[in-house]
Amino acid sequence: MRAFFVFTKKELVEQLRTYKSLILLSVFFLFGMMSPLLAKLLPEILSGMELQGMKIEIPEPTVLDAYGQFFKNLTQMGLLATLLVFGGILSNEMSKGTLINILAKGLPRYTVLLSKFTAAVLLWSASYGLAAGVNYGYTEYLFENTAVHNLGFSLFCLWLFGCFIIAVILLSSTILSGNFGGLILSAGAIVVMLILNIFPGLEKYNPITLASKNVALLLGTATSADLTWNVVITCLLTLGSLLLSAILFHRKRI
Amino acid sequence: MNAVTLDQLQEYLPFLIPIILVEMALMITALVHVLRHKNYRFGNRILWVVLVVCLQIVGPIVYFTIGRGEE
Repeated sequence: MRAFFVFTKKELVEQLRTYKSLILLSVFFLFGMMSPLLAKLLPEILSGMELQGMKIEIPEPTVLDAYGQFFKNLTQMGLLATLLVFGGILSNEMSKGTLINILAKGLPRYTVLLSKFTAAVLLWSASYGLAAGVNYGYTEYLFENTAVHNLGFSLFCLWLFGCFIIAVILLSSTILSGNFGGLILSAGAIVVMLILNIFPGLEKYNPITLASKNVALLLGTATSADLTWNVVITCLLTLGSLLLSAILFHRKRI
Repeated sequence: MNAVTLDQLQEYLPFLIPIILVEMALMITALVHVLRHKNYRFGNRILWVVLVVCLQIVGPIVYFTIGRGEE
């Protein structure tokens, strides 16, 4: 247990020194701040443009537009940033050989994985919490009627999906070697999930629904009961990926 | 042509200032890092300085995630 805390602390220090915390926190802060602002300003920006005499009429932006922007930003650019920042957490250390020493001194391999997962989830939660908090504050400030359905659950879904992605990155990094192996395989996994989401029958079980149904949840067209299976399956898949990566990592030559 | 008047600009100043501050902070940390280190995974110093300064937000992120060399 002590080894776990020490290694997790080392991971957190590494996140600071490699500017990972700086990048993720500032990017998510910007997303949280820009989303309501952009939603509010979009009609004015568009009305300022004259498209050959064409006039674009946009209805008054609502709080849903603000959250729509927020979730769109976070599920696209946010996840991309998360992938880029966490893509190398395991592969880099393996290719540099910095793990050999401590593993030879008797640190269990699963501790390495678990510490990396914990540290990454901590940073992801902090950044995501910051984005959600800033977004909430500014939406309250900019818009009048801010009542939406299932806000907490909708936010939780995307958070869970982020944790799942981190577990997938760790699994892919143990499957593929090389600097960018983990990154490419996890991106591939997301693409596969996106393609699978085309089939309506699978939507109920696909983890990616957690990152695509957020606005529907706010609108009330989807309820938390609709996503129960997705949440359960994503939790199971996260645990499964961690277990499988622990098994694979145990056998792997470093 | 421009529909955003000075009044509106002032109204949104409390939002623009933090955004600009974060952008500048990212740019400056990245710029300092570029200038103090010689090794990059690819590209050279001039390329990274231009990217970091000209591409707001994206430039520093790309530098720190894939451009930064080993110590």
